[in-house]
Amino acid sequence: MKLTRIRIEQFRQFRQALEIGDLDAGLNLFTGANEAGKSTIVAALRAAFFERHRSGSVDDFCPWGDSSASPGVELDFTLGDHDYRLSKSFLGRKRCELQVGSRRLDGADAEDHLADVLGFRYAGRGASAAEHWGIPGLLWIPQGGAQEIRESVTHATDHLRKALNESLGEVASSGGDEVMATVEAQRNELLTPATGAVRGEYATAIKREAALASELDAIRSEITNYRQKVDRLSALRREHAIDESEKPWLHFRKEHQAAIDKLAAIQRVEETHAAEKQRASQVDEQIKLLREQVDGFATQKQAAETRTAALDKALQERSTSLALVAQWLEKRVEASAGYAVARERLRLVRQEDTRRSLTRQLDEIREQAEGVVIALTKAEAEQATLLDKQRLAAAAEIKPAELATLREQHRQIRELHIHQTAAATRLRFSLDDGRRIGIAGESLSGSGERLLLATTQITLPGFGKLEIAPGGKDLAQLGRQESELRDRHAALLQRLGLSGLDDAEARQQSYAERLGEVKTATATLKALAPKGVDALRGELASQQARAGDIEAKLRRLPPTVDDASALPSVAEAEAAENGAGQSLTQINQQLHQAQLGAANAEANCAAATRELASATALLDAPERAAREMAANRDLVDTLAERHTLATRIAALRQQVCEARPDILKQDVERFAKSAEQHEKRFGERRDTLLRLEVELQAAGAQGLEERSAELARDLAQAQRRAEELRRRAGALDHLLQLLRDKRRLLTSKLQAPLQKHFNHYLQLLFAQASLEIDENLSPGPLTRLGVSGSESGAFEALSFGAREQMGVISRLAYADLLKEAGRPTLIILDDALVHSDDERLAQMKRALFDAATRHQILLFTCHPANWRDLGVPARSLESLRAAG
Amino acid sequence: MTVRLLHTADWQIGKLFGQFEPDQAALLAEARFKAVERLAALASEEALDLVLVAGDVFDAQGVADRTIHRLFNALAGFSGRWVMLPGNHDAALSESVWTRAARLHAIPDKVSLCLAPEPLLLEELGVAILPAPLTQRNTFDDLSEWFVSAETPPGMLRIGLAHGSVRGILAEAIDSANPIAAGRAEQAALDYLALGDWHGSRQVDARSWYSGTPESDRFRANQSGQALLVELTEPRALPTVRPLRTGRHRWRSEALTLQVPSDIEQALQRIAGFSTDEVVQLSLSGQTDLAGHRRLRKAIGQAEGRVHSLLSDFSALRLEPTADDIDALQADGYLGEVIDELRSQQQGGQGEVAREALTLLAGILDERRRDTGSGSKAGSDAESCMESKAASKANTTGAL
Repeated sequence: MKLTRIRIEQFRQFRQALEIGDLDAGLNLFTGANEAGKSTIVAALRAAFFERHRSGSVDDFCPWGDSSASPGVELDFTLGDHDYRLSKSFLGRKRCELQVGSRRLDGADAEDHLADVLGFRYAGRGASAAEHWGIPGLLWIPQGGAQEIRESVTHATDHLRKALNESLGEVASSGGDEVMATVEAQRNELLTPATGAVRGEYATAIKREAALASELDAIRSEITNYRQKVDRLSALRREHAIDESEKPWLHFRKEHQAAIDKLAAIQRVEETHAAEKQRASQVDEQIKLLREQVDGFATQKQAAETRTAALDKALQERSTSLALVAQWLEKRVEASAGYAVARERLRLVRQEDTRRSLTRQLDEIREQAEGVVIALTKAEAEQATLLDKQRLAAAAEIKPAELATLREQHRQIRELHIHQTAAATRLRFSLDDGRRIGIAGESLSGSGERLLLATTQITLPGFGKLEIAPGGKDLAQLGRQESELRDRHAALLQRLGLSGLDDAEARQQSYAERLGEVKTATATLKALAPKGVDALRGELASQQARAGDIEAKLRRLPPTVDDASALPSVAEAEAAENGAGQSLTQINQQLHQAQLGAANAEANCAAATRELASATALLDAPERAAREMAANRDLVDTLAERHTLATRIAALRQQVCEARPDILKQDVERFAKSAEQHEKRFGERRDTLLRLEVELQAAGAQGLEERSAELARDLAQAQRRAEELRRRAGALDHLLQLLRDKRRLLTSKLQAPLQKHFNHYLQLLFAQASLEIDENLSPGPLTRLGVSGSESGAFEALSFGAREQMGVISRLAYADLLKEAGRPTLIILDDALVHSDDERLAQMKRALFDAATRHQILLFTCHPANWRDLGVPARSLESLRAAG
Repeated sequence: MTVRLLHTADWQIGKLFGQFEPDQAALLAEARFKAVERLAALASEEALDLVLVAGDVFDAQGVADRTIHRLFNALAGFSGRWVMLPGNHDAALSESVWTRAARLHAIPDKVSLCLAPEPLLLEELGVAILPAPLTQRNTFDDLSEWFVSAETPPGMLRIGLAHGSVRGILAEAIDSANPIAAGRAEQAALDYLALGDWHGSRQVDARSWYSGTPESDRFRANQSGQALLVELTEPRALPTVRPLRTGRHRWRSEALTLQVPSDIEQALQRIAGFSTDEVVQLSLSGQTDLAGHRRLRKAIGQAEGRVHSLLSDFSALRLEPTADDIDALQADGYLGEVIDELRSQQQGGQGEVAREALTLLAGILDERRRDTGSGSKAGSDAESCMESKAASKANTTGAL
């Protein structure tokens, strides 16, 4: 289809007619600013085709504010070999004319013809909408709608399919999809579409099968149980019958009795054995007593002999002891005499010694007393001298401090006098002879000089009196001081009894001399009587007393013995006396010992004599011999009996041991228990039998096996049913899968031509890319070579720009397909590809240019600069309007 | 003193037939009572002296009380003497179906139960019965051993009654339970030995017979569904034995192999030949095209309505749709490819699924074709879908 001329009149923007002629068979580029009317041209083209001229819902076609207008479009185009002219106006003047070559169609006929040829539909009522637009809806890309392709493809699918089928030249399947739907529906009754899990009847059948199987299991186990009980019943009955006829417990009772008897017999033997053993122990006791008796007799005899020997020994010891005592007595007499002599001699020696000592003491004392008397006389004379000198010294004493005071006072008085003299009014006078004057009461004559120290009256006889007052006031003061000092000086002298200072100095000299004399006298006395004279006197007295004492002692001593000179020394005498004393003491001790020994021997002797007497008395008892013989005889008899008894006891023990009474007791118990056990078991079995019989009767009435057979039958049926459904489900599933696979294969085969056209353009945009086409012939996932190998992404996942480009490419591909199928194609792009970058846009231009060699393309843009290199002149709408 | 008796065994009362659909199974179970009633009627008609039942009267010990009552009621048709022997299914255990029956007072006086190995003397008939009842479920002792030494009054017929496998007749019976020595009749000087346990009638020796079950209950049992009419003229004379047909249902197992197209025709004839009282097990193998398959199914469907029971197994039958089939199904486009694929998959590991799927698809297509053919293409899709569902279901059940 090729448009050659467009005329638009009273249509929206175009109140005035707009005519575009000489349209190119390939690319046509229209440029214009916004609002210039590009979209109005597109709208007019759509209106010319899609809207019924009679439509009442096209008010918006009118120019603004001109509701009475008759919007009109007139198109010239060629289609196939025919030239067409379509004249259509709406609203005010509703009209539609189609000139096809020489044929002319009017009104709805014209419109239907166009719809049929171009592949679109009219709306039943109201304004035409996307779902009606078919092929033009796909190829006429509205402003900003290039990327939205899926929906427009859906509306054109039938046409595309038809185009594909025609190109393939064969029929896909006359009812394949219906069959598939049937199969799918049937399959989905048995299996869930998503997971293939069982559902519906199939699920019910499987459930029923399982339920029956478990019920059957339960009943079978009940039957097994029942059968076991039956078997048990048989076994029990058999045993019961045997027991009833054999009565095994009777046998055990008998055995029990026998064991009891045996045990009693052996117990009797045991008793005998015990009695014999007791008898034996009695005999043993008797033997022991008899032996003691016999031994007693022998002991008595032996004791008597022992006693005799003991007595002899005691007697001998006694005599020895007595002899010893006599010896020691003799020795003691001698020692006592020796001791007395020694003591007397010692006394004498000591007496003489005392006497000598006292005489010597007395001589010494007397000598000392004489010395003391001489010393005392001298000392007393010296002491008198000292006292004299001391008295003299005391009279001349003057204290050094007082002397110093005197000396100071004297000096001060002198000084004061000098000061006065210096300051005093000097009154010199030279009186005519004779004349006299009285000065201070002193009458003077001659010449002289006076120092006036105080106010002084001068009596001038005959003239009266002159009172002279010395000028300086110090003078008066000095005068007062001097007089005070002189007073104190005089007082001190007076107290000391001195006449003046010189006197004091002399007395001090005298005192120093006398003190030296006292010192000398004192030293002399000290040499004579260091402790004083009184001590000397005491010493003398005491010595005199001691002398008197010693003299008294001497007088009390006995008179001197004759041979005093022959006497030994004191030490010798003391040693002799000591030796004699010790000897006597030792002898006394020995004597005492000997006397003790003698007393012991005497006592022993007496005891031995007594014991011998009693032992002899026993031996001499009258029936002793007869008793001894009897005891010996009894012992022999008893020993014989003991032997007999031992033999008997051994035999009895042997008998008991062999019979094993412990085992016999166990036998008694065992047999008793066995009998009881059997009786008990018999009873229990009888009870069990009764119970089992009742149970089995009850269970039997349930007809378990018949019930089980019924269940088995039902289960077999359920299993068959489930198996049927399983096979059916499996087959349907398989069939559906196969149908789908085959259909997909076929679809891809069918889509091959479309694929070819897609690839043709795609290579211009993305080298080595491929695009899948889905069921509805829409572009599917795009596969490209990326950095990490082949990458595949859904169409919707592409960027806006890429989707826009793909949208345009797809439409070009559809156009090629439709063209091949002989369908009319016209491509309109209203401001498309505004989101493409320069590089992509360049590629898109190549694609468009290529497509334009096969299809007419109307391209509207408000960016003329972008499309300058399209190789066709741009028509500016502004200039077109101006021309119109 | 000719004695005429009916020898029967293995009634297996209470047996259920789970492999069949519930209604058919119920009929088969019922048929066993009917067989007993027929035996009674037969004995009555023939004015027989005695009926011997050689074991397995009941299928299990634990049958319902109602079943016990029904069985003894079924004997009503013959008022003569019934002698019954416990078999392995209804052994004379200490608690058994017999003790229960006694407790229920279900056993009429005309029935003699041989619960112990001791001679049963039927003075009025001049017959001594030597029974070998099972008192355990299974035993490996020969319970008929005692017959040899058993004393019976002189002049009376000695008839043994035993349940088990006679040694040396069938290889499979060598080690089986409940053995009976070969030649027992001779050793024990029996006039006749009535045997039970084998469900087909069979003569063991001149005096020993298995009567078989009076109503067949399995596919592999030759000569079942009979009872034996035995005539004994005098001691030591050979018995005259005449098998009588008593069974109603014939159990039949058919295996059909389809190789060439004409085999279909033969198979169809065979199927058409199945009669009303037959219980049939049919297994199909080989291969067929869709048309043949459809015809087989149809024939089997008809037979199912006619014969008593029909179990068919298609699992070994491969579908080989021909070009005509596919044309007929209008399976164009990828549907044709699917059919091809399924056809080849029948050979592989998923053969059964593929076969099933193919059958289903063929069914759906067939249904569609018929809908289209009847001009109801414009009719609602939902309806046709439902129909095809119903059809496919029918196909599936038919395949079992």
